[in-house]
Amino acid sequence: MAVSWLHRLAGLTPVPVFPALGMGGDVVLRRLAQATNIELVGSPRHASVLLVAGGVQPDLLEALRRVHDQLPWPSSSLWFRCEPLPELEDATRIDDIEALPGALAAIHRELLLQRRGSSPRLLPDNPPNPWEGLGDDGHGGEGMMGGVPYGRPMAMNMHDDIRDGLTLDSLTFRIGPFFPAFPPGMSAEVTVQGDLVQSWTTQSLPHLVALDPVFHDARQRSVPIARLELARVRYHLHRLFHGLRLAGWESAALHVLHLAMRLTSDSRADALRRRLERYGFFYLAALDGGVLEVEQARRVGGPASRAAGLDDDLRSEDANYQRLGFSPVFHNAGDTRARWQQILAEIEQSLQLAKQAAREDLHTQNSVAIETPRGPWSDERCPTDASRLLDEIIPGLEWDSALATIASLDIAALSDWPLVEDKPLTRSEERSS
Amino acid sequence: MILNEMVLPIIVVLAVLVGGAYSVAVMDRVIATRLGAPRAGNPWLSPLTRGAWLLVQQANVTEAPDGRAWRLAPALYLALAATGLALVPWSETLVATDLATSVVLWGSVEALATVVIFLHGWSANAPLALIGAYRYVALGLSYLLISMFVLIGVALPAESLQLTQVVMSQEGLWNVVRQPLGLPLFLVVGLGMTFWGPLNLADSTDLAGGTASEVSGPPRLVWDVARAAMLVAFSGIAASAFLGGWLGPWLSGPLWMVVKMLAVLAVLLWLGRVVPRVAPERCVTGMWVVLLPLAFVDLIWAGVAALWQ
Repeated sequence: MAVSWLHRLAGLTPVPVFPALGMGGDVVLRRLAQATNIELVGSPRHASVLLVAGGVQPDLLEALRRVHDQLPWPSSSLWFRCEPLPELEDATRIDDIEALPGALAAIHRELLLQRRGSSPRLLPDNPPNPWEGLGDDGHGGEGMMGGVPYGRPMAMNMHDDIRDGLTLDSLTFRIGPFFPAFPPGMSAEVTVQGDLVQSWTTQSLPHLVALDPVFHDARQRSVPIARLELARVRYHLHRLFHGLRLAGWESAALHVLHLAMRLTSDSRADALRRRLERYGFFYLAALDGGVLEVEQARRVGGPASRAAGLDDDLRSEDANYQRLGFSPVFHNAGDTRARWQQILAEIEQSLQLAKQAAREDLHTQNSVAIETPRGPWSDERCPTDASRLLDEIIPGLEWDSALATIASLDIAALSDWPLVEDKPLTRSEERSS
Repeated sequence: MILNEMVLPIIVVLAVLVGGAYSVAVMDRVIATRLGAPRAGNPWLSPLTRGAWLLVQQANVTEAPDGRAWRLAPALYLALAATGLALVPWSETLVATDLATSVVLWGSVEALATVVIFLHGWSANAPLALIGAYRYVALGLSYLLISMFVLIGVALPAESLQLTQVVMSQEGLWNVVRQPLGLPLFLVVGLGMTFWGPLNLADSTDLAGGTASEVSGPPRLVWDVARAAMLVAFSGIAASAFLGGWLGPWLSGPLWMVVKMLAVLAVLLWLGRVVPRVAPERCVTGMWVVLLPLAFVDLIWAGVAALWQ
């Protein structure tokens, strides 16, 4: 079939990519957010290429197949540091992150110029369960009520509303593990009335979170404090990037990412703070919910616990941090707003520490127990998965607040392996290492 | 007569619909690039390439959608936008439909938009789209009330509900000065009603695109064009109601309208990029507790000023 001018024109559009993140796959988000010819989309229906990034556990492959089949034709997939599904014979694998934008663009262009066929559907296009065929409307219940058409409960008024007494039909659905607003790997069964979450059950746990190698080094030996603190800042900035994208604030998210990319011990976060405050992030966005009790905050650890008023930070026990005059910053409210304010304050504090430590060339003293950006880490105590906590704190929140709460909480367990992020060392890191 | 009353209005509306939606896409892209979004390529070409991509893409189906309603909703929204555009006066004589009650018809366009947006989210038979639809319905009423009060405010000095009369009543002084609260309130209504930027709660990122999260291919193109066209229609009504419509020295009337509409669009699109999304709960509270009383003040102000004259 001849390629029409319409297809040629379509081939010039930035590549709409849906990222399905496996273990350690979130590095691609940061790389692709800065690529000029890539558009990261939130729904597989809006994508031309499915990018599977990082290892996908075998038990999530079925969900991955379902996501794969949701892409409208013409569409294809690219596998980054991950073995393609055996059914996809033509699928391409790529391991070099710098070549990723180019490879995605090539697939998109080939699809539209019809030099490459679309991926085949992997699953039969059948309902997962039979239509019951009983009752007045074939919905499986009696009269007009009840029933589980296609194996799913009908949206029924079964529960009282838990907030304001305005009862709507309850709708139960499962979401994840590739939903971009969730931590990668996490899935949940949710019941909503309108946009109010009535119940929440975390079903699969988020992937382990990997830290910069310097934190692993710090458990073995003394490392430069400047390097450690800059790695901490970068970790927090990456989380803030995600939070701002979720808040529909792409320009500020990119600001954060640029700061993270160009981080040196002379960097400052003043402009970032001004922007967040001036344009009302702390006031307008859905940051009211997700209050953690002290006990819950302790289970999460790290900045989330300090945002709830606990002032435990292992850096206070390190002699050289004491020399720098370190004392933990903390907030008291324990809600989503307090957590982002805490993150911002810790970013500023770490930049300050990094600057001072670089000047005085200070190294860490304590390798037995260190404070990672995810929480305290020692032989006895390691940040563990806290995603079950969501079952307690999410019900009663509106959808927007629920997702903002999840984004503000760092709930995944710590990986034993350091982060592999292909990027050149920044100048200050080179100097300090 | 046929030419003047049937052919010409249709040509005007279609031209503004296409040209306006295209300008919105180009301007939004330029503003995004200015604010640091990494986008390569020609901004003049990008709406066309995107349109072409959506045209060649498959229109997917979800499991058991309300098929007809789902396909109809984008078209209906486009029709509503066209209805709004038909009311915009380009000069004293160049108006597609110069109704004696054009302000009322615009009010009904805003109200029917709620129905169509709900239909779009509900008929997809998917949870995130449905949540987006619920949200719009929950918020729609609060925008509409403010919009109505503000528009009654501009109808008072004109002593008419006809937009051409509203424009002519601004010969001496534009409403943006005469009723200083009106335009800012109406711009907030505009962002809410067209669910754009900080008030995009129906098609938002936390819902992976909300009511449009399950749509692909040509229906998505229609939906996107309709959303942009609705923003253009809104800017036309705002320019006529507050910025003196076609009035102005040196340039011809239609050109003045284009300039004023582009200015309103630029403000809306810029706001859409520099402010984070407002939480739905905060949005409802702000509308009812702050903006609605301000709309009352605006109306009383307009009433007292009208009596004074």
